[in-house]
Amino acid sequence: MQVAELDIRNPSGLHARPAATFVKTAAAFRSKVSIENLTRGSKPANAKSLLGVLACGVEKGHRILVSAEGEDEVAAIEAVRKLADGDFGEAAKG
Amino acid sequence: MGTRIAGRPGAAGVAVGPVWRYNAGGTAEAQRKTAAVGDPGEALHAAAVEAASQLEALAGRVRDLGRPDEAGIFEAQAMMATDPELLDEAVARVQAGEEPVSAVRAAADAAGAILAALPDELLAARAADVRDVGARIARILLGEEMDLPGVPSVAVADDLPPSVAAEIPPGFLLGVALEGGSITAHAVILARGLGIPAIVGAKGLTRAAASATSVAVDGGSGEIVLDPGPDDLAEFSARAAALGESRRAAAALRGRPGATADGERVALLANIGSPEDAPRALDAGAEGVGLFRTEFLFMKRQTAPAEAEQAAAYSAAFSAFGPDRPVVVRLADIGGDKAIPYLDLPAEANPFLGVRAIRLAAHGSRELLLTQLRAIWRAAGRAGVTPHVMAPMVTTLDDARLLLELRDEARADVAATGNPLPERMVTGVMVEVPAAAILAPELARLVDFFSIGTNDLTQYTMAADRGNPALGHLQDALHPAVLRLIRDVVTGADESHIPVAVCGELAGDPAGALVLVGLGVDELSADAGSLDGIRAALAGVTRAELDDLAGRALAAGDAETVRAMAGALLGRHDRPAAP
Repeated sequence: MQVAELDIRNPSGLHARPAATFVKTAAAFRSKVSIENLTRGSKPANAKSLLGVLACGVEKGHRILVSAEGEDEVAAIEAVRKLADGDFGEAAKG
Repeated sequence: MGTRIAGRPGAAGVAVGPVWRYNAGGTAEAQRKTAAVGDPGEALHAAAVEAASQLEALAGRVRDLGRPDEAGIFEAQAMMATDPELLDEAVARVQAGEEPVSAVRAAADAAGAILAALPDELLAARAADVRDVGARIARILLGEEMDLPGVPSVAVADDLPPSVAAEIPPGFLLGVALEGGSITAHAVILARGLGIPAIVGAKGLTRAAASATSVAVDGGSGEIVLDPGPDDLAEFSARAAALGESRRAAAALRGRPGATADGERVALLANIGSPEDAPRALDAGAEGVGLFRTEFLFMKRQTAPAEAEQAAAYSAAFSAFGPDRPVVVRLADIGGDKAIPYLDLPAEANPFLGVRAIRLAAHGSRELLLTQLRAIWRAAGRAGVTPHVMAPMVTTLDDARLLLELRDEARADVAATGNPLPERMVTGVMVEVPAAAILAPELARLVDFFSIGTNDLTQYTMAADRGNPALGHLQDALHPAVLRLIRDVVTGADESHIPVAVCGELAGDPAGALVLVGLGVDELSADAGSLDGIRAALAGVTRAELDDLAGRALAAGDAETVRAMAGALLGRHDRPAAP
């Protein structure tokens, strides 16, 4: 299993378009991918589910834990990390 | 004679046409029918995929029409339709013996409930989107997915969600009659934009309309007639003709200042949301702007708008209306109900009772309001006008004093830069919090004018959420409890000889306008499209008649009674007077 802790810095958190981008990225891998909102202390949710990700209520400034388990787990975590580094395509406010 | 049902007026207009029923639930009988067909789990998956592709197509169409925000909602809904969590839950329910239609609806309701419980208002709003997706999958399972009107029709429904309304081709929606819904429902706003009638809160409508083929609606009175007979049709066509004629006659009064039949002046102003609304307001004969909403400058962005950017927008509005048509700028009415990234506002359980508008000044955003005031001073200097400003959400005398202090500090800042400056800024407060109405005599000694926001004053006085369809009877600003507060505001203002304006929706409603002017309100500010109607209404009545109406309204027991009284006075002048 691969895990990564990521800080969410983009303004709308994991709502709306960033959430959709996140889910589409996770869904492209065969591995089981899950997400937890460490700041809010949510239960792990299926990262391939928009409803699951929205229910984590991830806002700007929150820290999330993403884990992947399966044949392409390394690539899955790498792809998610890259998304977060690019602030999910949404300009971050300093 | 057809069956008559009474609802509440949502959008004015008269329409007659075939009934188009929208039913989010589907009938129990239809649910039983589908249960027997094929493998329920597979049927559910297929319906979900079909729903997703419908929603994607809808997103594409709406995007092509230049409405990207709406398209974003439908794209997210398309993802929700095939969401593994939603489908797993629905399939699990089916395996436990539930019927697919009710299983998918229950799964969507459960997912919606989780989102609705989140502290973030934006996410909570997604709850309705999930439930709507559940309803769409259910419709497909029931074979109802093609049920859009094939001919121009009147929609009859409990409620009409945006994803359904957007699918109706242009010109195919003649009117909207809803059993539920509030006057702020999406469908009502849509109807006003299309200029078609809408009625909400018509109890018993969907049951009564189950077998009706045609319907007549009067959005001004809230009357619905199912399967109208020849007499009904004659009556509604006469109403449509009268409405058209009175609209034409009212338009002919355009260009005249607002006044009663006996010549008492009532300034008629427009509400605008950006400088781009100025031409429409001027075309409608607005004598100025009673409410310039400035939120457009503050929303949908990552950093606060700079002074220069704001000044350009204010200056554009000031110049468009010139020195003889005052423009009242309302300071930003923002708070925790909208995500404003640069304010870092904490999430609140009740954002409309929280840190918003003038209250922001004491919670780390003093500079935000100062910048706005500096920009207004600067723009007025540039345009050569005396600026008018008002603060929303003022509750206490200290709020008003803070406003004056910020105003003076902003002026000193701009003066230090050597820019041209007007002598004074006409400074008022919005009266929308009951405390401010109660404190009116003292507030009036501090400021130059009052502007009553009837929507919020009603919401706060009646303790009834504006958007909650279950509380329709508590949302009418004509309730005597609200009217008595307005009377007190006028009395308090009169002691200090300051004018009182009303800029809420009540001001744009001809019946409301008569009651307000009767209570002593000096100015009415409304959407440009409403000005013809209130100008004509005032031109048909005398001061004595309005005094009499106000006296009876204050003593009435409920809003419906007041509405009927004002309607009777209006109706007397329904035949338009020759201009």
